[in-house]
Amino acid sequence: MTTIRAKKAFPWHIVFFLGPGLLIYLTVSVYPLLDTLRLSLYNEEMNGDLTFTGLSNFSKLLFDVVWSDPFWNATWNNLKFFVVHMLVQNPIGLLLAVLLSSPKLRMRNSYRTLIFLPTMLSVVIVGFVWQLLLSPLWGITENLMWDIGLGNYFDAWLGKESSALFTLSLISVWQFVGLPMMLIYAALLGIPDELIDASVVDGSSAWQTFYHIKLPLIMPTIGMVSILTFVANFNAFELIYTVKGALAGPNFATDIMGTLFYRTFFGFQLQQGSLTMGAAVATLMFLVILVGVALYLFLFQRRVQRFAL
Amino acid sequence: MADVKLNNIKKSYGNVNILHGIDLDIKHGEFVVLVGASGCGKSTLLRLIAGLDEITEGELQIGSELVNDLPPAKRGVAMVFQSYALYPHMNVLKNMSYGLKIAGKDKAFIRKKVQQAAKTLHIDHLLERLPRELSGGQRQRVAIGRAIVRDPKVFLFDEPLSNLDAALRVQTRVEIGKLHQELGATIIYVTHDQTEAMTLGDKIVVMNQGRVEQCGTPLELYQHPITEFVAGFIGSPKMNFIAAKVQSIEADHLVLRLSNGAITKAFVDVTSCNLDDDVTLGIRPENLSEDSDLGERISASVSLVEQLGEASYLYLTLSDATEMVMRTSGESTTTIGETIDISFNAESAHVFNADGLALKRHRAGNTKSPAELARLKAIA
Amino acid sequence: MNFALPMKHNRGKALVTHAVLMTYTLIALFPIFVVIINSFKTRKAIFNDPLALPTPETFSLVGFEEVLLRSEFGLFFSNSLIVSVVSIFFVLLFGAMIAWALTEYSFKGNMLIGILVAMGIMIPIRLGTVSILDLMSSLHLVNTLWALILVYIAQGLPLAVYILSEFIKQVPKELKEAARCDGVGEIKIFFTIIVPLIRPAMATVAVFTMIPIWNDLWFPLILAPSDGNQTITLGVQQFIGQYVTDWNSVLASLTLAIVPVLILYIIFSRQLIRGLTSGAVK
Ligand SMILES: Nc1ncnc2c1ncn2[C@@H]1O[C@H](COP(=O)(O)OP(=O)(O)O)[C@@H](O)[C@H]1O
Ligand SMILES: [Mg+2]
Repeated sequence: MTTIRAKKAFPWHIVFFLGPGLLIYLTVSVYPLLDTLRLSLYNEEMNGDLTFTGLSNFSKLLFDVVWSDPFWNATWNNLKFFVVHMLVQNPIGLLLAVLLSSPKLRMRNSYRTLIFLPTMLSVVIVGFVWQLLLSPLWGITENLMWDIGLGNYFDAWLGKESSALFTLSLISVWQFVGLPMMLIYAALLGIPDELIDASVVDGSSAWQTFYHIKLPLIMPTIGMVSILTFVANFNAFELIYTVKGALAGPNFATDIMGTLFYRTFFGFQLQQGSLTMGAAVATLMFLVILVGVALYLFLFQRRVQRFAL
Repeated sequence: MADVKLNNIKKSYGNVNILHGIDLDIKHGEFVVLVGASGCGKSTLLRLIAGLDEITEGELQIGSELVNDLPPAKRGVAMVFQSYALYPHMNVLKNMSYGLKIAGKDKAFIRKKVQQAAKTLHIDHLLERLPRELSGGQRQRVAIGRAIVRDPKVFLFDEPLSNLDAALRVQTRVEIGKLHQELGATIIYVTHDQTEAMTLGDKIVVMNQGRVEQCGTPLELYQHPITEFVAGFIGSPKMNFIAAKVQSIEADHLVLRLSNGAITKAFVDVTSCNLDDDVTLGIRPENLSEDSDLGERISASVSLVEQLGEASYLYLTLSDATEMVMRTSGESTTTIGETIDISFNAESAHVFNADGLALKRHRAGNTKSPAELARLKAIA
Repeated sequence: MNFALPMKHNRGKALVTHAVLMTYTLIALFPIFVVIINSFKTRKAIFNDPLALPTPETFSLVGFEEVLLRSEFGLFFSNSLIVSVVSIFFVLLFGAMIAWALTEYSFKGNMLIGILVAMGIMIPIRLGTVSILDLMSSLHLVNTLWALILVYIAQGLPLAVYILSEFIKQVPKELKEAARCDGVGEIKIFFTIIVPLIRPAMATVAVFTMIPIWNDLWFPLILAPSDGNQTITLGVQQFIGQYVTDWNSVLASLTLAIVPVLILYIIFSRQLIRGLTSGAVK
């Protein structure tokens, strides 16, 4: 068969649809990211010229005490920040979601809407609000604690090296607990009623139904919530900056990757900002996030299959 | 012994009454089918028996024990759901053993039970598979298997075949029948399909808007429906209904004037009848004949012919526009547009009064006492 | 006779459920509540009895007066509004266009572009800040709202493409094919058939795009920190940083920043929660 095939017209419409959005995405998101990775391999001279120095920025960050102490400190703090979210925020979110999904619950929508409210607020606002509430000057929290007999335990938590990071983590948990709650709640709603009925007929108690049926079925969502938490935590900045400033005091006790990145890039007070060292920090953050996402995709998502419900 | 007794069972959601007092007496080993139109409360009743919803009022006994307040697992019931409700993250083996595991049975026992049930249902080669790797029919069997392993006193089925294709439905229906023979357990089976009901049930319960309309063996329901609703529900194609007036009352039959003017007889209990009462004549499509004269004759024009091979259905219109269906031989040569005379035997006619209640049918010659008859005539 | 009355048991469980949920609701609302009520009180009342509602004696708007006098709250607000609205518009438009192209047409590079866009959901655009600042200064956009808008469009696109694709996939084939048989062009099909059909999804995307933009501090701090171009988040941050000790002003500015969001949230919470719970985001 030798029919003459009409040459297909060039698909201009595809260009039309993809063009503008992709142009912005590529120039403002993809290119800067790749360029940041590139810049991390250079060194900025006094006169502003860039010279290629290979991995020396990274070796400084990881091994040169001047750089590596703050870097490891921030990484370690960031990890603690994340662990608090995983151990406090997500379990509370799960608990609230389970309670919200109990059948015939009254005022379900009000609870849901109100508990989610802090998530909507700006981190900056939340930071200031809690700074005020925890301030020994104002004394709201202190008085409340005296009222319930725990007054002796009150302290200026945000100001102490030992407790500042933990307190900030809890503030962040307070703000964002609505997200895991909402996502897990949606997943719980997606479990067909008949499945729950079946397990009740099979003799499960409420707890057994939760543990053997619901929990495995919402595992994919819990996994997703975890990875979202991870990315958000290793990208956090605003809360620390608002409450403790760029120096993430006291004595860098609350310094995390985001604040370290900011200081390294822009400089702060005595520290000189550096384009290329900033790029190197960003690159390491990128790698951390990449490793986290990859671990999630390959270890977690592969094992926990999505079940066609 | 696991008799199931329902005593004036009521259910309401808020102030909406769904079930209005159901009485049922189910003997051990019986296969009882609940039929009724969609939304009439069949599933609700089943869920009450299972213990998945709370009974608003009335008493439920299983094996002579009052179980209103017992949780499902303590009632000795097992349920097969319409969607099968297999646990999607467990393989067949785990699905089937879940209930036993919860009950704390030991591993060897569970294994034996599941193997046994799987063999009965011919799914022993599927034990390692996940539900999504099974066909519809196989899922259905697993769902049944999950019910069997717990040795329940009562099996509850909620429209278990409605998600299967036609061929598989027939096959599975036969197997469920066999399974009942083998297990000898009590089965309460919900369906909206009257063929399923007729073929499976020892006893059929016809429900209508939250009430039991009639309860009896398949043949009883077919031959002596006590209401117009049941008469219309059981049988396929549906019974024909023709509006009529009582023309005269005889010793053993009524003479009716049909809406198209035809005069016919019907052998029914005439006790409660008065002259000129509005009634409805019911006649099944298979009781109509176009060839031989069975006594009572109606003339009708043919508006459509459906040929099924072994039989044909004629869709008829009477002069007053009443629609009828009749079943005739597959060899029938009647065509659209013809006007034909059809006939039926006066003994096969059903008559329903204005309240939709049937007048009891009987054979010709089943006369009233002269005194009774005199009373009736006097009223007339 | 019956020890485990399910009725009673359920009541108890419901009670515990409500107790826990109510406690948590209180925890979630209390801080916001305290800030708002105190912003309407005199300085003395703020310190004497922080938990009391404002009374005629303690009522005072001095904080709000100060804030409106000493800062350009209205300007910050309109900056935020402009940035958000323009960004959302383009995120929706370009996002839907990309989603449509990727789901409807098969062409070389489709998969690659899909992956590239999907990666944007997980990888924060912040990591490219060093080069973004570079780029914006070479485009002479530093300290303009346009810099923010461009960044926010790029930031919002990946999730928008992802969510909208899911919805575009559900549009019945017949609709498009009928139009094509009638000789309607691709671009017209998109704007007259697809866009109206995915409007509900677009509302969800709009809400999801709006929140991070409205609340962002990082990019305003880096790209448009100068007078006149601050967004409300940055404005509040700078203002409070300046007047830390003026409690009336601090509380008033926080209230001013919270209340619009609160109102918007109350109006759109249904939309937002439906979006979150419909499985659109998975
Ligand atoms: N949880 C419920 N709340 C309120 N009404 C319900 C509930 N479950 C069922 N109903 C109502 O009860 C009636 C009977 O439903 P159902 O028993 O499922 O019917 P069937 O199974 O016969 O089709 C329907 O009108 C249905 O709307
Ligand atoms: Mg039903």
